[in-house]
Amino acid sequence: MAPITVFQARKIITMDPNCPEATHVAVRDGRILAVGGAGCADQWGDVVHDHSLADAVLMPGMVEGHAHMMAGAMWKFAYAGFHDRMDPQGKWWRGKPDIATVVCDLTDHAQSLPEDQPLIGWGLDPIFFTGERLSRAHLDQISTTRPIAIMFSNFHLMCVNSAALAQAGYDHATNVEGVVKGPDGAPTGELQEMAAMFPVMRRLGMDFRGLSQTEAAIESYGAVCMRAGVTTVTDLYSQMEDADLAILRQVTARASYPTRLVPVLGVAGADPETAAARAQALARQGTDKLRLGAVKLMTDGSIQGWTARVKWPGYVGGQPNGIWNMAPDEIRRMVATMQAAGVQMHIHVNGDEASEVAIDAIEQAARHSPWPGARHVLQHCQMMGPDQFARCAELGICTNIFANHIWYFGDQHAALTIGEDRAKRMDALRAALDAGVHAAIHSDAPVTPLGPLFTAWCAVNRQTMSGRVLGAAQCVSVAEALHAITLGAAYTLKMDGEVGSIEAGKFADFAILGEDPLAVPAQALKDVPVLGTVLAGQVHLA
Amino acid sequence: MSVLPRLPLTVIGGYLGAGKTTLLNRLLSEPHGQKIMVMVNDFGAINIDAALIAQADGDTISLTNGCVCCTMGNDLFMALGDALDRCPRPDHLVIEASGISDPAKIAMAARAEPDMAYGGIAVVVDGQNWPKLADDPLIGAQMRGQVQVADVLLVSKTGGMVPPSLAVRLAALSRAPLMDLADLPQVAPVLLGGVAPAPQPGALPGGMAAHPAYVGWSHQGPEQFERRTLEALLAARPAGIYRLKGHVLSPDGALEVHVVGPTVDIKPAQSDSTRMVAIGLASQINRETIAAWWASAAA
Repeated sequence: MAPITVFQARKIITMDPNCPEATHVAVRDGRILAVGGAGCADQWGDVVHDHSLADAVLMPGMVEGHAHMMAGAMWKFAYAGFHDRMDPQGKWWRGKPDIATVVCDLTDHAQSLPEDQPLIGWGLDPIFFTGERLSRAHLDQISTTRPIAIMFSNFHLMCVNSAALAQAGYDHATNVEGVVKGPDGAPTGELQEMAAMFPVMRRLGMDFRGLSQTEAAIESYGAVCMRAGVTTVTDLYSQMEDADLAILRQVTARASYPTRLVPVLGVAGADPETAAARAQALARQGTDKLRLGAVKLMTDGSIQGWTARVKWPGYVGGQPNGIWNMAPDEIRRMVATMQAAGVQMHIHVNGDEASEVAIDAIEQAARHSPWPGARHVLQHCQMMGPDQFARCAELGICTNIFANHIWYFGDQHAALTIGEDRAKRMDALRAALDAGVHAAIHSDAPVTPLGPLFTAWCAVNRQTMSGRVLGAAQCVSVAEALHAITLGAAYTLKMDGEVGSIEAGKFADFAILGEDPLAVPAQALKDVPVLGTVLAGQVHLA
Repeated sequence: MSVLPRLPLTVIGGYLGAGKTTLLNRLLSEPHGQKIMVMVNDFGAINIDAALIAQADGDTISLTNGCVCCTMGNDLFMALGDALDRCPRPDHLVIEASGISDPAKIAMAARAEPDMAYGGIAVVVDGQNWPKLADDPLIGAQMRGQVQVADVLLVSKTGGMVPPSLAVRLAALSRAPLMDLADLPQVAPVLLGGVAPAPQPGALPGGMAAHPAYVGWSHQGPEQFERRTLEALLAARPAGIYRLKGHVLSPDGALEVHVVGPTVDIKPAQSDSTRMVAIGLASQINRETIAAWWASAAA
């Protein structure tokens, strides 16, 4: 008989209504055997008591239903973002509130690099800078000989120095859309969109494919998750090839690997029948720590990029309505094929016109191939109102809401994108729950940092960077937010029978916290320390 | 990275069902003599004559004529890098853009990348359904946008003639030459252009433009142009040339020129003479007109 370990904690938040609070949890074979007091597992035989977590608060390991594996490996590049942010090793990188700090910090960082290595940065968001725009002149202060490229947080723009411009052959004679030029006719260093960035990326070795699927990328993603208290995480547009499967299985199978990984296969542009067959084949190759078989569809772009498809009255600045990355016809065909094949779909929808097309497509497909347990998930759901949530409830569609946007971009949405009225009702977790929809909330890391407690804080407080509350009517309670980042997200991954709460039979996956999130003021939810995780009964300390 | 000849890139745009795949099937089986690499999203509708297939494995189909057809995976630009690094480098890269996408977002890479040459954007327009798609409240703007960025418009499913109302609408959006796919005896001259300049002046080598439907012109000489003069000359080119390419000597070093439809792309190059090749449709232009235009500038 396998040994039984009984972990003692200051408090255990179980998310199980039958036993909402406990002090001890017993683990055998990586699963929860019993929950309660010190003697909770005595009827099962001899136990070993583990007091190492006695001062900590345990809650179910958190579930991040929408993030990307590159959130780990991005850190091989230098962080240049506005906000303080922690890397996979637990080191905090100072946020850069202005261009001078960007230059100063990256100059320091360059000292640590070999002479012949380019300096690559990421995470810069000029939407937060006032005044001057970052240009090659600033980056030339760091070095005129070492090529430098700073990728912006939206991955659509970068800024490079003169040495990088020279490598790409960009000069006054260049006439390429996306190579921005100054009044003097010379490139400013800003490059817009992939085509213009490509020559620089190719020469500087910026391989984004290498930020997923490699052993190092998988490992650092696990480390990022562990430090955020996440024990089940998606990679929500996996580009895995068949050859990548072996390495995914091998790395996740290690007892030292702290996370259950759910890669969701990106299928935009693919032939629906072929993609469905591939998803079905993948589903059969999953393990306890690697779940496969779901697919991700694209529809529109992003609201802050003015590329989301929004309904009337459109964008406040009069920008044209956004773009489709999959045509509505393709979406309908893909949805119908996946529904018929029994493949669960996660569908990217930012604007309310996109979510409407997705709901219509699922409704139509469900008429031909009824599948009550499909649990298709709309992802982002930023502009959905009670009408669309009601339809989701009718159709059994789940929603995973981009709560972090409220803090990161809420002020911009009110002022610059969709305007005050619709900004106040965006990312409406309250409306979703009231409609009876199964809902989760997410970070979309690395777009915003992985950290479900911060995401929960956003949904509870709806505070923006300027300090205002954006739509108080859509605030939820701390308990509801904690449900969304555990059982709620687990439900969207069809893993609610295995993870998301601390109750007998489920995997022994816990988040180890320094304080009780239900006891601290709601405003302090984001500051609750994450000390590590327990995965299948094995402790991983940050 | 500039030792190898530049890799020309042609992007095929057009909505689902417009006939992009049919066009690619035609291209792959024509006797153009070039080692083309075709990239598609998936092999779904690609239907290559079994007799042409030399080897098929996973995401690549190799043809007996030296062409290769492959799927690009999820990261188009990584696939672009792979194509550039491929040894030997293909003679021409042709990418099928997905139905709703903006082909210019891909084609612009050929103007940006020093190791690539601009091969243009050919947009396949569904002769029957396009007007309805262009008015669609959801996708109309993107449909019209594809036409706006096209260098060549290829109309499919016309049943013998491009409907005048369609031609008028397309002309209002685009200056690109308009062709009925059914009228084209070969698609390679339109999609790829000519091959290397002919040794004998005035005619094109190989079978490329041998067909009477096409007019080919080539020129070799010692003339030099300032870049600005060259740009003005190219801007004044006669209508009816849909492809023009070659090297031009200039005081600051040679220039490589690629003109497709309304788009002109110029990059630095190495060359010891000025050599140009042009192609047009015989129904729209003749060789004498092209020669006279060039001679007027050289004089």
